[in-house]
Amino acid sequence: MPSDPTAPGDRDPAPTHADPAEPVAGAAPAFDPAETLRLIQVQQDRARAATEPDGRLLYLAWGIAWLVGYLCLFLSAGADGQAAPWAFVVFSGAIVSAVAFTIVHSVTRTAGTRGVSARTGALYGWSWMLGFLTLGLVLGGLARAGASEEVMALASNAFACVVVGLLYLGGAAAFQDVRLFVLGVWILLVAAVATYAGLPLTYLVMAALGGGGFLVMAGIEHALRARRRSVAARCVGTVGGSGEAVDA
Amino acid sequence: MPDAELDTVIHAPARLRVVATLAALGAGDELSFPKLQKLLDMTAGNLSTHLRKLEDAGYVRVTKTHEGRTPATYLALTRRGRDAFEDYTTALNTLLRGAGA
Repeated sequence: MPSDPTAPGDRDPAPTHADPAEPVAGAAPAFDPAETLRLIQVQQDRARAATEPDGRLLYLAWGIAWLVGYLCLFLSAGADGQAAPWAFVVFSGAIVSAVAFTIVHSVTRTAGTRGVSARTGALYGWSWMLGFLTLGLVLGGLARAGASEEVMALASNAFACVVVGLLYLGGAAAFQDVRLFVLGVWILLVAAVATYAGLPLTYLVMAALGGGGFLVMAGIEHALRARRRSVAARCVGTVGGSGEAVDA
Repeated sequence: MPDAELDTVIHAPARLRVVATLAALGAGDELSFPKLQKLLDMTAGNLSTHLRKLEDAGYVRVTKTHEGRTPATYLALTRRGRDAFEDYTTALNTLLRGAGA
C-alpha cells in the first residue's frame, strides 16, 4: 500500500540517524517472523502461478471467443435466420484460437508436475476431446438422416453447450470448484434458452449469456484473487509493521 | 525461548523456500527438479544439497525415474514434511501475535 499522505505529521519524513525507533540501516535483527511469513507467501504464490492454469485467462479467452464468434453469426444472419459463410469462418477461427490457447496455456503451466493433479487434468482434457469428437460424429449422422439447416444449427449449438456444461459439472467435482459448478449450470441453462429462442436469436443468446457468462467468471476470479492477496498482505503487513504489499 | 520451537531443518531460508514451494502443490503431486530449480533461482548443486538434508529429515521424497531415455528427478513433500511446514508457519504466527500484543 502506498504511504499515507496524511501520516507524516507526527514523524519527520527524512529519517534521522539518531532515531532508534526506525531501524532503516544497520537493521538485520536476528529473525523477523512477519518477513518470513511474507516470503513464504510470495514463494507459494509464485509456485502456484507456475504450476496451475490461470482460470481468469481461460475464462477471458472463451468469453471473447463466444462473444465475437456468436455475435458475427447473429449479425450476419439473413431473413431465413441462417448465418453468412464469412461469419462461420470468424466463428471457427475464434473457437480454434480459444482451444489452442487453452491447450498451450494449460500444458505450459503444468509442465514439470506429476501425480494426482496432473492425472486428473489429463483425464479432464481427454474428456473434452472425446466429447467434441463424438459431437462431430453425431452431427454428421443427423445431417445424413436429413436434418434441415435450421435443426443442424440449433442442434450443434445446443449439444456443444450441453457437453460444455456437463464437463464443467464434472470438472467442479474433480477439482472441488464450486464456482465452476455454477458456471456449468449456467451454460446448461443457456443451452436450453438458446435453443428455444430460435434462429437467429439463438446466436445472440449464446453471445450475450454464454460469452457474457465466461467474462463475468473471469471478473469474479480476478476480484477474488485481488481480495485474497490484499487480505494476506494486510495480515502480515499490520502485525509486522512493514506495510509492504506482497506485489501488485 | 520461542526460537527453540522452530524446526531447524526448515528454518534455514533456502530450505524454507524449498518446502514452501512443494507445500503449494497438492498432497499427491510432485515437481520436477528443473522446474523446482527455476522456481527457486538456485544452482543445481545448491538445491541438491538442501534436498538431501530435507530427504534425510524425512520431509522430502525424491523419485528418480526415466522419461523416454532421459533420467528425471521428481520431488514431493512427505506427510511428515507437510506437517512440519504447517507447524512452522503456526509457530511463526504465534510468535507474531506474541510480539504484537
